[in-house]
Amino acid sequence: MKRLITLAAVALTAFLTGCATNVVKTDLSKFEAAKPRSILIVPAANKSLDVDAPNYLLTTLTVPLAEKGFYVFPVHTAKTVLEQEGLYEGDQIHKQPPEHLAKLFGADAVLYVTINQWDAKYVVLSTTVTVDFDYRLVGKDGTELWKANKRMVYSPQQQNTGHPLANLIAAAVTAAMERAKPNYMPLAQMANNDVFVWGATAIPNGPYAAKAN
Amino acid sequence: MKPTLILVALLALSGCATNHGLYEWGGYDALLYQSYKEPAGVPKNMQALAAHIGALEKGGKRVAPGLHADLGTMLLQAGDKDGALSNFRRERELWPESAVLMDAMIKNLETTSKAEVRS
Repeated sequence: MKRLITLAAVALTAFLTGCATNVVKTDLSKFEAAKPRSILIVPAANKSLDVDAPNYLLTTLTVPLAEKGFYVFPVHTAKTVLEQEGLYEGDQIHKQPPEHLAKLFGADAVLYVTINQWDAKYVVLSTTVTVDFDYRLVGKDGTELWKANKRMVYSPQQQNTGHPLANLIAAAVTAAMERAKPNYMPLAQMANNDVFVWGATAIPNGPYAAKAN
Repeated sequence: MKPTLILVALLALSGCATNHGLYEWGGYDALLYQSYKEPAGVPKNMQALAAHIGALEKGGKRVAPGLHADLGTMLLQAGDKDGALSNFRRERELWPESAVLMDAMIKNLETTSKAEVRS
């Protein structure tokens, strides 16, 4: 009888593990092996037509990563230092060897974001606002540790996302859209939180995260 | 009804952006955003950031990564070298990961100050 229970327990465990691995998840093995403590966020490369997009996006990345428990280098300071090195554009910065950037700042990893889209399309009755980002985290030795893509589209017709929190945020986006100039920030924040914290690509916690997590 | 909903949503959103529990950000991200959007507002934003950091330190709370350093850079850009130096030193004290960058910033400021004294 005891053996039967053990067998059942083993079978159940195997079943549970089976379930857990069936979920499509990002490969985090390189991230976990590198165990970065600190992340340098460099200005984004911009493929959109909005010249302000990289600066605005830069201000949204620190909070979610620091709250994940990483030391995040001061984004405004890093941007200023890079400018003093003659590096003004994200494109230029992304072409530098990651090892060189990591060494210059003493960072364990470098986060590169490319803005594929950041625009608002006005039709007679509705506005569609889209942001689309590629995220790439590279270790100080040049190894790619993690990557993700996120596209967020807001249009007044599609407010029920099925996710209560996302619905609340969608409502906040609506509020922002009521101004003459669309505010992309809630969409950018939502994209960042989704890739780093909520979604299937969520990264592991950093060294300063609460021990309970 | 509608304004209430929006208010709730905004509260939830600011909760997401600024309060996951590790740090009190004091609107650091919004202050930076405003500074990039309207450079004329930088002095006001700088004061707000300084006041937030001051309140945290007074209350013995940990200041989030980068706040001292970015305040330091803003002060430096406004010509306040002493303010910049003390903030860079504080960032380095609080966050050992910042040592390489902060040492470079501090050393750079100290050597330029000396050069000015000499000239």
